[in-house]
Amino acid sequence: MHGIQKAFGPVKVLEGVDFELRPGEVHALMGENGAGKSTLMKVLTGVHKADAGDIKVDGQTVSIHSTTDAEKHGIAIIHQELNLIPHLSVTENLFLGRELSTLGVLHRRAMRKRAREWLAQVGMQSIDPDMPVARLSVGQQQMVEIAKALGQNARVLIMDEPTAALSERETDTLFALIRELRQKGTGIVYVSHRMEEIFVLCDRISVLRDGHFVGTRPIPGLSLDEVVQMMVGRSLEARFPTRDVTPGKVLLKVEHLGDKQVHDISFELRAGEVLGVAGLMGAGRTELARLLFGLDKASEGRVLLDDEPIHTRTPVQAIKAGLGFVTEDRKAQGLVLDLSLRENISLPRVPAHAGVIDRATEKRQTKGLIEQLKIRTRDMELPARALSGGNQQKVVLAKWLALKPRVLILDEPTRGVDVGGKAEIYQIINQLVASGVAILMISSELPEVLAMSDRILVMHEGRASALLDAATATQETVMLAATGGH
Amino acid sequence: MTSRFSFGNGAALLQRLGSVIGLLLLIIALSVLSPDFLNAGNLLTVLRQVSINALIAFGMTFVILAGGIDLSVGAILAFTGAITAGVMAAGHGMALAIGVGLGLGLLLGVINGVLVSWGRVAPFIATLGTMTLLRGLTLSYTQGQPIGVSNSSFALLGDGYIAHLIPNPVVWMFLVFVICAFLLRGTVFGRHVFALGGNEEAARLSGVRINAMKLGVYGLSGLLSAFAGIVLTSRLYSAQATAGSGYELDAIAAVVLGGTSLAGGRGWLFGTLVGALLIGFLNNGLNLLGVSSFYQQVVKGAVILIAVLLDRRK
Amino acid sequence: MNKLGFLAVSTLTLLAAACSNQGPTDAASTPAAASTSPAPAASNKTIGLALSTQNNPFFVALKNGAQKEAAADGYTLTVVDAQDDPAKQISSVEDLIQKKVSVILLNPTDSSALAGAVKEANDAHIPVITLDRSVDGAQVVAHIASDNVVGGSEAAKFLIKALNNKGNVIELQGVPGTSAARDRGQGFDDEIKTSGLKIIAQQPANFDRAQGLSVTENLLQAHPDVQAIFAQNDEMALGAVRALDGAKRANVLVVGFDGTPDGIQAVKDGKIAAIVAQQPDMIGQLGVKNAKSVIDGEKVEAKIAVPLKLVTKDNAQ
Repeated sequence: MHGIQKAFGPVKVLEGVDFELRPGEVHALMGENGAGKSTLMKVLTGVHKADAGDIKVDGQTVSIHSTTDAEKHGIAIIHQELNLIPHLSVTENLFLGRELSTLGVLHRRAMRKRAREWLAQVGMQSIDPDMPVARLSVGQQQMVEIAKALGQNARVLIMDEPTAALSERETDTLFALIRELRQKGTGIVYVSHRMEEIFVLCDRISVLRDGHFVGTRPIPGLSLDEVVQMMVGRSLEARFPTRDVTPGKVLLKVEHLGDKQVHDISFELRAGEVLGVAGLMGAGRTELARLLFGLDKASEGRVLLDDEPIHTRTPVQAIKAGLGFVTEDRKAQGLVLDLSLRENISLPRVPAHAGVIDRATEKRQTKGLIEQLKIRTRDMELPARALSGGNQQKVVLAKWLALKPRVLILDEPTRGVDVGGKAEIYQIINQLVASGVAILMISSELPEVLAMSDRILVMHEGRASALLDAATATQETVMLAATGGH
Repeated sequence: MTSRFSFGNGAALLQRLGSVIGLLLLIIALSVLSPDFLNAGNLLTVLRQVSINALIAFGMTFVILAGGIDLSVGAILAFTGAITAGVMAAGHGMALAIGVGLGLGLLLGVINGVLVSWGRVAPFIATLGTMTLLRGLTLSYTQGQPIGVSNSSFALLGDGYIAHLIPNPVVWMFLVFVICAFLLRGTVFGRHVFALGGNEEAARLSGVRINAMKLGVYGLSGLLSAFAGIVLTSRLYSAQATAGSGYELDAIAAVVLGGTSLAGGRGWLFGTLVGALLIGFLNNGLNLLGVSSFYQQVVKGAVILIAVLLDRRK
Repeated sequence: MNKLGFLAVSTLTLLAAACSNQGPTDAASTPAAASTSPAPAASNKTIGLALSTQNNPFFVALKNGAQKEAAADGYTLTVVDAQDDPAKQISSVEDLIQKKVSVILLNPTDSSALAGAVKEANDAHIPVITLDRSVDGAQVVAHIASDNVVGGSEAAKFLIKALNNKGNVIELQGVPGTSAARDRGQGFDDEIKTSGLKIIAQQPANFDRAQGLSVTENLLQAHPDVQAIFAQNDEMALGAVRALDGAKRANVLVVGFDGTPDGIQAVKDGKIAAIVAQQPDMIGQLGVKNAKSVIDGEKVEAKIAVPLKLVTKDNAQ
């Protein structure tokens, strides 16, 4: 790709971007959210048409006007948001739009057979190809997406945050797979915010900033700080800001809590403390959060706040008790995308007198939170849909901060958020802790859990397998507990 | 990035105003084509003609914005109209009759709400069921006969004028519009309607009382249908056993023409008023032009399809 | 693509299409009007006809009779259709008032609901003539209709004679609440009561052929011992004939009401024993004729009865 330019209306999103991918290389594409990565990839896959510049495949200039064109040239993309149809089976999803058929009659057996082969390629031979996709975990669904792209014999594979939803084990499988593909000569564009992965996996890195091409460098010999500097144009002093808060008295006490998926969970959470919750996909971390917040009904155990038992059978009661819940999936559960920032932020408690909204107070409160959380937006009336991932996440946080919760549950608070945004969210967490809020933080990023938590609750198959002191815990001890070893 | 969205915002506003401009163009076109169209008398006539549909459509807007649909509005209109007339026929006063009618409409709407919230029945099916049930109840209550109304002050509700000029139903329509518009934009209830239709899961997690909200929107729809039924009964001097058949579709058409998304979460009440007027002016204009009623249906269907297709282009 | 432009263009195109479509329909039914110079909309030679529905051949015949009569003298007839909805009919009468027609011929959807609309017309000094159904509590210059009560008893008399005053009858009723259903039922029921016949089932089939079919099927299941079916209109009678064919019950006598072309044909074929025939085209024709008299300032009779005739195989044409 050479000299790619693209503008939406008056705004230039890409200005003269060059990008080159060799066969058999894993090429990281980085940049903060809004830097133009997605747009560049959309130009490559024919979703958008470039205003200027050209694309060459094997030295030949090609025109890619549609996703079909892209497929023809062997270019496939695996999106961050899953593109599977939940109620169709794995096989049906794999062959969606390219069903094997004669005169419209499906060759079910042939498709099922080939589906098995493709699944085996991604280490998912144990999956029944007739199972509806909805019954698979998010991580497994991601693997199905990859299997689908491989099924198209892609020579150029674009992966957008492929590990965001994967467990450690699944990530390992994926990396092995990527290395295997590299061996076979496939070119892979790897879009990710996770620095560790980039350094482990990739051969070269290209960085975009505000639609400009910053440069391409070989990974060996490059330091983390240099990459960060390329991305943000300045050096981040530390990825995880330090905090100096001594946890206070016990605020939340959970005793033998359980339902169908979670069993016999007990822990204490102190004011001004971050309790990290680690574990693999499906270990029951999110389920624990849902129990605490009254989204699912507990069948055993009890929860005490200030030594008083509380009954959180519905979110309404949980909120009243002083709990807040920043969900894992901000688009599906955290935000009403068509509502404005203001309306989203005030949703849990709209400032009102006798049901009539007090708009002045609402605006003032929203403005304060936008400033406090450094949400980058021109206008609080913009729909939440229009914001970048990091800013959306801050809006979800702002929503709960407006309520001044005593206990805040964060489920994957930095997923899909760029480096700069992550640091800002960590700052916010530290501020909250300093003001005496107790935080339960679920995260799949081990460095994040280790750096941000005071203590770490590790879960395995619905049970608490360890409660570690973060100061002495290491990635290895956490992983050991998460995989059920002792 | 930010200026890109401001561009998008302007386009969205323009699209929002599409139905308004469509209405103005229709009025201009009809004024040119028919000499009898553009005068105060005819415009007031059209306003009165659309008032019943508009009243129902206002309630329908809440239901659709909240992500539901209410097919029972026409049946509620017929049933409450019949009961209201029946109460008066039994010798009771007008105030009691209206109170019973409105209360019944609210109750029937709340029953719809209970079915879709706690009952977890899909709104389309739940209200299809109550619609059929109420149609049957109305026929058995009236024995298929119209129930005449002789109370002359009751007749003023739908047939009288303010200042010998503005028909009363038009006054009701604008009054209810103002109240509903405030309810939708100025109250917590309205905010939660948008949140519920935009993302039910996010709304629930934010502590919105989902089930209570559903009772509220369907209850409001039932209440307004009953009010429309009372106004219609007054206007017809009688409650008709088969009144209001097909009104649910007219109301949905008005809501959709006004630019409210059938998927919920996006829309505005003013659009619904405009949508109702569009349908009304189209009916009136085609009659004035002497277009055969067969072709009138073709035109109306085509206009609805085009409007919805344009909506999909967003 | 600009949405507004699109909407504007499509609206205008549709209007234009609708207007040009109106030409051929009118021309087909009123060739004379098309050749004479077209009258301006508000001339004193314009008559409005507000129909209850065109979903029934009876009212189409009524409309055709009216159009023929109007065309003969170069009158313009504007037809509006309420699709059986009283509220919609009020609107369409209002539209005719706005159009300033000279006389409104009103074929009400319902006897009780249109009084207000008639009053509005009177306030605008437009005389109203009701056709087929009357309007309670309203002032009209004339009412033109068949006598449905007499027609109902005619039907009963035919069956009493044909069955030798002995046997069981099913009655298919029209749309509940319409005066036609009431009057025909009343005339028929009163006559049967004093005879040796017995009505063993009555059920509405809403003047509709498909419902006539299904209701008859059900009733035949429930009451196999039946000798005759009286349907309050031809459409339901034709539905009943289909049900009888299906059940192989050709010996059951069917009596219809109205005299639509399909119905008369069935009488000729021996499927329907008799029809109490109205003459809808004559109702339409008399409507326009009297409207012309009103326009010319002549006096018209307040109640004009259109003769009914009993059509059997012997006299069917």
